[in-house]
Amino acid sequence: MTNDVRIGLETHLQLMTKSKLFCGCPNRGVEEPNTRTCPTCLGMPGARPQVNKRAIEMGIKIAKALGCKIPKEMNFSRKTYFYPDMPKNFQTTQFSLPIGTNGQIKMELGGEEKTVRIKRVHLEEDPGKLKHVGGGITSADYVLVDYNRSGTPLCEVVTEPDLSSPNEARIFLRKLSDIFEYLKVYDSTGEGTIRSDANVSTWSERTEVKNITGFKDIEKALIYEIRRQKNLKKRGKEVIRETRTYDDSTGTTKSLRTKEKEADYGYIFDPDLTRIELHTDWIEKLAKDIPELPHEKKRRYVEEYGVSREVAVTISSDFELAKTFEKLIDDLDVERASSMLAGPVKKVLNYNDMRFKESKLTTEKIKKLLDMIDEGQVTERNAEMILRVVATENKDPERVKEDKGFGKVTENKTKEIVERVLEENKDAAEDYIKGKDEALNHLVGQVMKGSGGSADPREARKLLKDMIKD
Amino acid sequence: MKYSGMTARSFVEEDVDHSDFYTRLYERMDEIKTLGLHRKLELKQIKQGELNGLPFTLKDSICSKDDPTYAGSKILEGYRPPYDATVAMKIKEAGGNIFAKTHQDEFAFGTGSLNCAFTTPKNPWDEERCCGGSSGGAAGLAASLDLPHINLGESTGGSISEPASFCGVVGLTPTYGLVSRHGLISFANSLDKIGPIARNVEDVALGLDIISGKDRKDQTTVGTSEKYTEALGEDVSGTRIGLPEGYFEISDEEVSETVLKATEELEDLGAEITKVKMDMTEASLPTYYILAPAEASTNLARYCGMRYGMEDKIEGSFKDYFSKIRGKGFGEEVKRRIMIGTYTRMAGYRDKYYVKALKVRQKIIDDFKRVFKKVDILAAPTAPIVAPKIEELRKMKPVEQYKLDKLTAPVNLAGMPQISIPCGFHKKMPVGLHLMADHFHEKSILKLAHAYENRRGKIDYPGI
Repeated sequence: MTNDVRIGLETHLQLMTKSKLFCGCPNRGVEEPNTRTCPTCLGMPGARPQVNKRAIEMGIKIAKALGCKIPKEMNFSRKTYFYPDMPKNFQTTQFSLPIGTNGQIKMELGGEEKTVRIKRVHLEEDPGKLKHVGGGITSADYVLVDYNRSGTPLCEVVTEPDLSSPNEARIFLRKLSDIFEYLKVYDSTGEGTIRSDANVSTWSERTEVKNITGFKDIEKALIYEIRRQKNLKKRGKEVIRETRTYDDSTGTTKSLRTKEKEADYGYIFDPDLTRIELHTDWIEKLAKDIPELPHEKKRRYVEEYGVSREVAVTISSDFELAKTFEKLIDDLDVERASSMLAGPVKKVLNYNDMRFKESKLTTEKIKKLLDMIDEGQVTERNAEMILRVVATENKDPERVKEDKGFGKVTENKTKEIVERVLEENKDAAEDYIKGKDEALNHLVGQVMKGSGGSADPREARKLLKDMIKD
Repeated sequence: MKYSGMTARSFVEEDVDHSDFYTRLYERMDEIKTLGLHRKLELKQIKQGELNGLPFTLKDSICSKDDPTYAGSKILEGYRPPYDATVAMKIKEAGGNIFAKTHQDEFAFGTGSLNCAFTTPKNPWDEERCCGGSSGGAAGLAASLDLPHINLGESTGGSISEPASFCGVVGLTPTYGLVSRHGLISFANSLDKIGPIARNVEDVALGLDIISGKDRKDQTTVGTSEKYTEALGEDVSGTRIGLPEGYFEISDEEVSETVLKATEELEDLGAEITKVKMDMTEASLPTYYILAPAEASTNLARYCGMRYGMEDKIEGSFKDYFSKIRGKGFGEEVKRRIMIGTYTRMAGYRDKYYVKALKVRQKIIDDFKRVFKKVDILAAPTAPIVAPKIEELRKMKPVEQYKLDKLTAPVNLAGMPQISIPCGFHKKMPVGLHLMADHFHEKSILKLAHAYENRRGKIDYPGI
């Protein structure tokens, strides 16, 4: 069956500047409502915007990292629409001269590399936030407005409709976020820091689904919307061109407005903000700060170190994890380091839904754990148990081993357990002698169980074989 | 101390204690209240400092912390800004006192200050006539208050020069970007300019000394902190003055003649007079009435009864509420300009009007630049007529009213400095001589205006 789904994303990522895009208010910090505000981000009459140079520099780096064409000069425009979270009832954004156009992102998809074209990258301000009290958007008793977020710099990345499934969209978002994190302009761990609008078509009119927050909802929203469109067609109905909104509480999309009622934003240049020249020298200087990006790292790991493609993707997708890898292989075997990081370490991070930098893991802790395994102090299995603890707690692996009794049992102790297991499982031993190999696996399992996981399974297997023969 | 007729500059330079002055000032202001020129502010503390406590007024659209600032609109009634405009801060820091807000057309949309939501300022020369606009209150107060003070007005398309001309006072509109707009309630951001209005050239030069200069809060400001008062008294012989074709022809004959007579006096002072041809004059008014409302309509979007100004009972959707407030709070002319301005920037019309007007504006600037290679200054009537009667103006159609900007719109679109100085009378009403120069040539027009003023002699302002 040919895939007939086409998805384009418009994704907004909050930039990690110290101050807001057009004023000196802190970009993050106190969350007491309406405290990080000033006449400019409250849109008081007469207050002027002053553009944050750092945000422009971040924008240039992003555009450069996404392989975009950067114009000689950029400017800001006013996008006018009325909404209570918008202090000026226009959003200062970029329209005709965005900071980057025509780029691309390469992403790994089932062992293949897929290129997603980037139409444009631009900077704009975030509006404030509405808080519905006593119900949802339609049922609330009243609504409060918090302008702390107003003026937070956003980078909007617009793709061509190159994505062909909800899963691809999720992988793309993760990839985009990885690149932003590599550039140190974005922190994926904050709430609501990545928001997308999706254009979806199933060889029919397209719909736009707005208001999708985070990585998980993108998949959910798209699955719903595609199913809705396909079901409409199955029932002989037409998909109409419209703007829909995603409701995360129900996991469904709802119509917001149809094409006839499409907003006309009446863009004009923002006359309070002068054109900004993007000198080649400036761009080149910033380009020097761009680190080796995830797909470049991935390629190097494969080509230079002979790491498998899959492992290379896993390690390179988390900047701090990749850094740890590069430190570990200074004095460790590549295979050993990569299998540890892409295996148990990644597993524990996934389990906790964490990026490496959010965890309590360090290169030193992982190094120590590997040493402990090499020295025969702990089993691989218990090393994982220790990893689980040290990933979330500020503890030394050695201590955890002592405290939790994760130390490996001695050979004599294992022997005792093996004897007991054989005593209690004579049938299994018989089966093994008769040639049933899986009986041995069962016995090894029993030994591991008897030792509380602290026995070395290889040692147990060897002892079992030896003793059954005897 | 005799304050009547004293200039602001003498007030500052006179080494005496002015502590009894403010009592006089407030008594005097109560006497001129009936003209509807200003809203009095309570001074909590009278500052002295470098400016010796010199009094200032601000146009109602210039914010000063905690003072009522309504921009002539009902929708902002009750609004007290939580911050000072940069110009207000500069006045306070220099030791000046802001004692009044002057009335204006609502959001500066008008040529006669008739569109003010609170009052209609009356011309001190003839109470049946208007003060001009939109900085009508400022110009009217300069003419009627015979005590030393400086008024700050604001011009988008001629809102300093025109009322100065109608009220027989001096109004200076600086180069766009010379004075910070931070804290000025916007009309059209790419055109708005704050400038001083006073009875004499020295005082407007002093005003400019105080308020000009780069401000990091307004990205469109540029550079220099010059002393404009120092240029006064310099020799003006050899100044090349151009009389732009078309400007005199469309003016009332008597107005033209009065202004031409003034240019002859400039010639007697050593200036060289030539006629110059301007190519873009006709295109200026339409360009102005596309760009200014387009910007204004976005600036006015924020007034919706949520954060400041007018409030009402909250009912229905936010759109219902916003429409209710905007319907009640904005005057007719404001609504007209929002509609014009919104139309010209909508998809399908944007390229035809807004984008095209931007291109034409560049041609207008080029036209002035070309002429300023041949002459130093352009001299013309400020307005084609003297101050009209309030009732006549009220009867005029909007487009006829817009035509009063015909002589000031071009130079305002070019963002070039201009000064209007009284140069005679017609129908017992003052006539203004308009001097215009290239960007940042404030000193050239100031010294020429000053030389002319000395030759012209004192004006007897009407007693109230």
